Amino acid sequence: MKSRVDVQKYKTTTLMNLKQLILIGCAAIPFLVFSLPTSLSVNIRSYDHSGYTRIVFEGNKGFEYEYSPSKNTLDLQLYQKVSVKYPVESFPGSELVDRVEHRLKKKSGKTVNRSVFRVYFKSDVTLKRNFVLEKPFRVVFDVEKSSPAVKPTPALSQQDPKPEPPKIDPQPLPAEKAEKKHTLINMICIDPGHGGTDWGAVGRSKIMEKDITLKVSNKLKKLIESKLGLEVVMTRDKDEEVSLNSRVSKANNQKAQIFVSVHVNSSFRRSARGSETYYVSLKATDQESQQLSQKENEAFGAEIEQLATDSTDELKMILWNMAQTEYIQESSVLADYIQDELNVLLSTENRGVKQAPFRVLMRAAMPAVLVEVAFISNSSEEKKLNDDVFLDQVAYALYSGISKFVYYHNNLYKEK
Amino acid sequence: MNKRIVVSLIGLAVIFFVVSLLIFLRSKDQSGEKIEEQAAGNNAEISEETSVARVRVFFLTEDSQLMRPVERELRLTGNKEQGYKQFVDLLFKGQPSYITPIPEGIELRSLYYVGSQKMVVLDFSEELLDRFPSGTESELEFIYFIVDNLCYNFKEIEKVKFLIAGNEFESISGHIDLEEPFYPDYKYIYAPDQQ
Repeated sequence: MKSRVDVQKYKTTTLMNLKQLILIGCAAIPFLVFSLPTSLSVNIRSYDHSGYTRIVFEGNKGFEYEYSPSKNTLDLQLYQKVSVKYPVESFPGSELVDRVEHRLKKKSGKTVNRSVFRVYFKSDVTLKRNFVLEKPFRVVFDVEKSSPAVKPTPALSQQDPKPEPPKIDPQPLPAEKAEKKHTLINMICIDPGHGGTDWGAVGRSKIMEKDITLKVSNKLKKLIESKLGLEVVMTRDKDEEVSLNSRVSKANNQKAQIFVSVHVNSSFRRSARGSETYYVSLKATDQESQQLSQKENEAFGAEIEQLATDSTDELKMILWNMAQTEYIQESSVLADYIQDELNVLLSTENRGVKQAPFRVLMRAAMPAVLVEVAFISNSSEEKKLNDDVFLDQVAYALYSGISKFVYYHNNLYKEK
Repeated sequence: MNKRIVVSLIGLAVIFFVVSLLIFLRSKDQSGEKIEEQAAGNNAEISEETSVARVRVFFLTEDSQLMRPVERELRLTGNKEQGYKQFVDLLFKGQPSYITPIPEGIELRSLYYVGSQKMVVLDFSEELLDRFPSGTESELEFIYFIVDNLCYNFKEIEKVKFLIAGNEFESISGHIDLEEPFYPDYKYIYAPDQQ
């Protein structure tokens, strides 16, 4: 009898434990589900723009990738498995993209945790650029039809310090045929950073950023005028204080077609060094303008104008403050060309092309970049900035980058 | 008769004891009620009373372009805004062997939280204009040191606006636009969970 009671007690206890376990298990399921890493899914889009086609791989989260272009295909390899809607996506309306195929990478017959997207093009193409956009994460490729006419001049080197300047067609096409963004470049605005009571960054040897930027800008002006034969407008040509708004107004009013702001960098980290080129990143101020910014990343020109027409006054103001929006694509190309030349011609560390919300660039109605030549806060680079030969090299690198952009831009124009 | 009285007294005593116990427990509950501010990644709490929050602060180092994390404990008192201010004070104090990208002699005049916009507004003393070392990199280091650290640790903060001496300014030293608020940009910090 006693043992039977014990058995019942045991059964009840066991049953209780089981119930508790089931309850705990059920409660834990949502936590387990949410704690599992979300799988990567990728959407693919393609747009035709004037002169190039854009392919966008949009992930629901960030991913690492490698790419390898060939004549008529482009491979994008991801270091993880990806879920896609369709293994093959066709783009019948696209000018250049035929289809994109997705497969898992195999090694010795076994699949490994890698995915490969292969883009098949309708004709031979040249990859113009690749870059990443955030929120949402996107890997973007711009390709153009292979054509020797639009290829940039070969990279300059120090062994060949005086190359033939790219040829500029002096006869502009009739104005009615020309679009706002595609006119031959004939005027460049150079903006020497700081000036007057605004010294900019100051080195330990008391050299000032405002003096270095003016020296480099004057050298650059001479090179552009003498070798490219283009008109140059300077935001300041002496040691005077000019507000950021006045600088960009001057460039806009004079209808300059390129804006290059010259600066010298400084950091709280004394070890920071190297050169970098910035183009603007548009700080989204609210959800509406974030969406706008996202749109802007995907389409240009007409769509933006349509958005401006349809939008509220507040949004129109935001658009006005972002005059650079329409030119951001060309600004990135200009930044690439200049940074490439800085890397080739200067022996400074390459910090690359970057984006940040620069006040002086945001309202520029033309391709606009800001160049940080070197770090005045770094003792070895401060010495270089004190050396006139180094400043000559900087000016020449800037000139070379600008001349390649002018060549690229004018060829695009001539093609239209 | 006596027995009834004794039972009644015992009954009354039990009822009195239970009521007293309930009142005591209720008052204890109310005094201990916490206003919780979940901090991203580390479950820090800010209470109306003095409490200790665990926070992750990102500082600059000489050998990395990314700000590196340091786990810190922060004694917090008062309301939400006071909690944020104490956190910013922690940023000002810095961390031995790390770099704090805030020039000396600058003060935080005030801080307030605009709940409707999920935005923290920081008002710095005008020394920020005079003592800032200039340079694009310095401006970016200063701005995102504050923005990324605040937004990373207090997920209810979506953006941060900077004022100097109570006014809006174009920029600190001629580079980055300061008129619009900043959203966090975690490319400046070493935080794999945010990449």
